[in-house]
Amino acid sequence: MSDKGEVDLTGAKQNTGVWLVKVPKYLAQQWAKATGRGEVGKLRICKNQGKAEVSFTLNEELTTIDTTGQKSSMVRAPREHPFTLQTVGGQTLAVFTENSSGQSDAEAGGSGTGTGPDKIALEGVVVQRAECRPAVSENYMRLKKLQIEELSKPLRFSQQLDKAVTTNYKPVANHTYNLDYEKRKKEEGKRARADKQQVLDMLFSAFEKHQYYNIKDLVDITKQPVIYLKEILRDIGIYNVKGTHKNTWELKPEYRHYQNEEKSD
Amino acid sequence: MFSQVINGTSCSAVMTSLGSSSSSTTEYVVRVPKNTSKKYNIMAFNAGDKVSCSTWTQARMERDMSNRRIYGEEETQEGAAGSEFGKKQREEARRKKYGIVTKEFKVEDQPWILKVNGKAGRRFKGLKKGGVTENASYYIFTQCADGAFEAFPVHSWYNFTPQAKHRTLTAEEAEEEWGRRNKVVNHFSIMLQRRLRGQERGEEDEEEGEKGGKKKKKGGRGGDLRIHDLEDDLEMSSDESDGSNGDDDEAKSKAKKDKGPKGKGKKKKKKGSDLEGFEDSDDGDFEGLEVDYMSDESSSEEEEPEKTKPNKGEDVPKGIDEMSDSEEESEEENKNEEDGKEEEEEEDGKKTPVQVEKKKKKDSSGESDSSEDSDIEGEAASALFMKKRTPPKRGGGRGSAGSSRTGSRPGTPSIDNAATSNTLRAAANKLEQGKRQTTVPSSETPAAKRLKMEPSPQSSSGNGTPQPASGKSTPSSSDVLLTEDAVRRYLIRKPMTTKDLLKKFQTKRTGLSSEQTVNVLAQILKRLNPERKNINDKMHFYLTE
Repeated sequence: MSDKGEVDLTGAKQNTGVWLVKVPKYLAQQWAKATGRGEVGKLRICKNQGKAEVSFTLNEELTTIDTTGQKSSMVRAPREHPFTLQTVGGQTLAVFTENSSGQSDAEAGGSGTGTGPDKIALEGVVVQRAECRPAVSENYMRLKKLQIEELSKPLRFSQQLDKAVTTNYKPVANHTYNLDYEKRKKEEGKRARADKQQVLDMLFSAFEKHQYYNIKDLVDITKQPVIYLKEILRDIGIYNVKGTHKNTWELKPEYRHYQNEEKSD
Repeated sequence: MFSQVINGTSCSAVMTSLGSSSSSTTEYVVRVPKNTSKKYNIMAFNAGDKVSCSTWTQARMERDMSNRRIYGEEETQEGAAGSEFGKKQREEARRKKYGIVTKEFKVEDQPWILKVNGKAGRRFKGLKKGGVTENASYYIFTQCADGAFEAFPVHSWYNFTPQAKHRTLTAEEAEEEWGRRNKVVNHFSIMLQRRLRGQERGEEDEEEGEKGGKKKKKGGRGGDLRIHDLEDDLEMSSDESDGSNGDDDEAKSKAKKDKGPKGKGKKKKKKGSDLEGFEDSDDGDFEGLEVDYMSDESSSEEEEPEKTKPNKGEDVPKGIDEMSDSEEESEEENKNEEDGKEEEEEEDGKKTPVQVEKKKKKDSSGESDSSEDSDIEGEAASALFMKKRTPPKRGGGRGSAGSSRTGSRPGTPSIDNAATSNTLRAAANKLEQGKRQTTVPSSETPAAKRLKMEPSPQSSSGNGTPQPASGKSTPSSSDVLLTEDAVRRYLIRKPMTTKDLLKKFQTKRTGLSSEQTVNVLAQILKRLNPERKNINDKMHFYLTE
C-alpha cells in the first residue's frame, strides 16, 4: 500500500486518453436514475471522411422526467444528443482520482474526507473535449419551458392568510421561564458569608485554573455576597482597569505561583 | 444507419458499414457506474508551462493545510497564567453579536501541493476552481476493455500552477525596485545584493549553499559591476534596509543571531522612521565611517554587522572595521545601560525580542525622535522592552536610561532631559556642576538643588561670624547676601531703621524668605550691638567705626 500522498502514475504512463464532456444538468439527473449496471444510452461515432460525428442516444426508460407539478407525463427528455467536439488546446488536462471509502485495497482506498489514507491516482489525460447538446425538438422546448417556469418563481413570495395567526404569543400572567427563575432564586436564598478561610481557599483554587476573573464569575463560583467578596479580593488580588484584561481581578504577584514563581499564601 | 445493439453482458460494440460514403459508424454503450467511491477531479495546467505527464517518474500530492491556522481558532494557552475565565464563551458571544462570520475550514476546498520527480523536480499548487458543477456537469468518458464507455462525473476542478523555486523579492522589496525601475540598468545585481545581505545575516548552510551556487554564476557579473555608479549605491543602500526587513523574517526564525537581527531590527526601525518622517536620519550612524563607494552598500546595512561574519569576500568594504568598531561601541553602551536594569546574560536573548518589539511596533521610532545617536534609540527600545510595552514617557524613558548609564559616554546629550527643569536657579546649578552624571531621576534634581540653595546662605552666614574676614561666602547665584559685614557697612554709613535694613536685603536678591531674613537680621544686630538713636520717633541703628 502506498503511503499517503503518493500519486499512482499508471494512467499517465499509459497515456490513457479520456474525453471531457460537458453534459446538461437534466441529463445528468437522468443518468443518476439509471438502474442495473448503469447503462444510460448509446454513443454513436460516425467517421465521415476525416470528420467525426458523435451522438449520444438516451435510453428510453430514462426519458421520463420527474417533476413536481402537474405536467409530469407530458414532458420528456429528448433522446438525441449530438456532441460538439472541441480540442483541448494547449492546456494539459489530467484526470486524477481520489478515493474516499476508507478501505485500503488498490481499487478503493483512502478517504477524501480524511478518515483514512487517501489514494490519489492519475487516471489519464484529456484528449478530447466535447459538449453534449440536445437535439432541438418539441420535447426539448417543453422541457426548457418547464425549467424556466420553475426557476422564475421567486424564492420568497407573499401569501394571504385566511385567519390571523394566534398561536405565537399568548398573553400570560407570568411566563414559565420567569416562574422557574423566581423559584430557583427563592431556593438559593441570599448568599451567606462563609468563613473567610474557606472563601480564600475557593479563590485560590479558582485562580489556579485561570489568571483573570470577572467579579461576576467569582461571585458565581464562590456564592458569596459581592461586597464581602470584594473585601477579600482587595486583600489578595488586584483589579485590572486597563490593558487587555480589563475589569478583571487577578491575584497579587506574591500570591501567584504560575510557572516559575514559588510564593503563595 | 443501422445499428444492432446487443444488450447484456457481452460486447456491445458493433460495426456497421454504410453504403456509399466512406464513413463508418460504431456504437458504444455508455455506462454510468453506480459505485462511486472514487472521485474524479480535473488537474488543469497552463499551456505555457509545458507540462507533460508522461515525463513524470514519481509524484506526490497532498493538501495544503497552511490556511488552517487562519480559520481555526487560535488557541492561546489554556488555563493558568494569561487566561481568563470564560474567555472562549465571551469571544464567541462577541462574534455573534457583531455578526462576524468566520468561514469554516473545509479540507475539501484546500489547495493541493503537487511535487513531481522528487526534491529536484517541479512543484505545483492546485487551486480549486469554483462554480464548475453549478449549471452543467462534466463527465469523463473512458473507454473500457469491452469497448463500452464509462462516464464518471467530475467532482472538482483544480488549476495547477508551477511554483517558483528561485528566490523572489518580497512585496516591500518589489515596491522599492519598482520605484527605481528607471534608474536601474543592471537588474542582475538586484538579486545579487539581496543574496549578499542574506549571507551576512544568517549562517544557514543551505542558504549559503544556494547562494554560493548562484553567486558563482552571478558573482562574475557582480564583480564586473563594481563600477560603483551612483545608482548602484542608491539601490544598494536602500535595498538592504528593505531587504533586511524581508530577510528578517527568515533570519528571525532560523538563526537567533543576536547581533544580526538586532542590527537589522535597528535598521528597519530607522528605515521605517525615514519613511514615516518621524525623525531625521540618524546621521550619527554614518559619522566617522570612511567608506568608499563599494562599502557604501555594506555600511548602511552593516551598521552593526555580526562579529561572526566579518569576511564577505570581495564585496567586503574597507569600512567594515570601522563598522565593527562602531558596533562594539554602541553595543557596549547598550550593555551598560541594560546592566543597570536586568541581568546581563539575558541580553542576547533580549536583543532578539527587542528586535521583535521593534518590528511589531514601529512607534518606537516615534518614541525616539529628536535623538541623535543610535544608542539613544537603543535605549529607548530597551526601555520600551523593559517596561513591557507600556509606552514610557519620553522624558521618563530617557531619564532612567541616562541615569543608569555608568559614564561610558560622558558627553552624551541626554542631559537635555534634565535641562528642561523649570527654575533658572536649577539650570544654573547644572551648568555649574557641569556634565556630571546624575544618579537620581532628573525630575528630583532641580528640587534637590533648590533645597541645597536655601540652607547655603544661612550656613554661610553662620560661618561668617567667627571669621568676619571671610564673611562673604561664595555667592552662588544671588547678588546680595545678608551678612554681618553688609549690615555693618550700612550702619556705619548712616543710621537706619530695621525697615530700611530689610529693604536693603530684599528677599528676591538674597534668596531668603522674609521670615528668614528677619531672623538672620535680628541675629546679626544682636552680635553687632549697634547704638540706637531716635530720629523722627523711629528707632535708628548706627555704628561708629
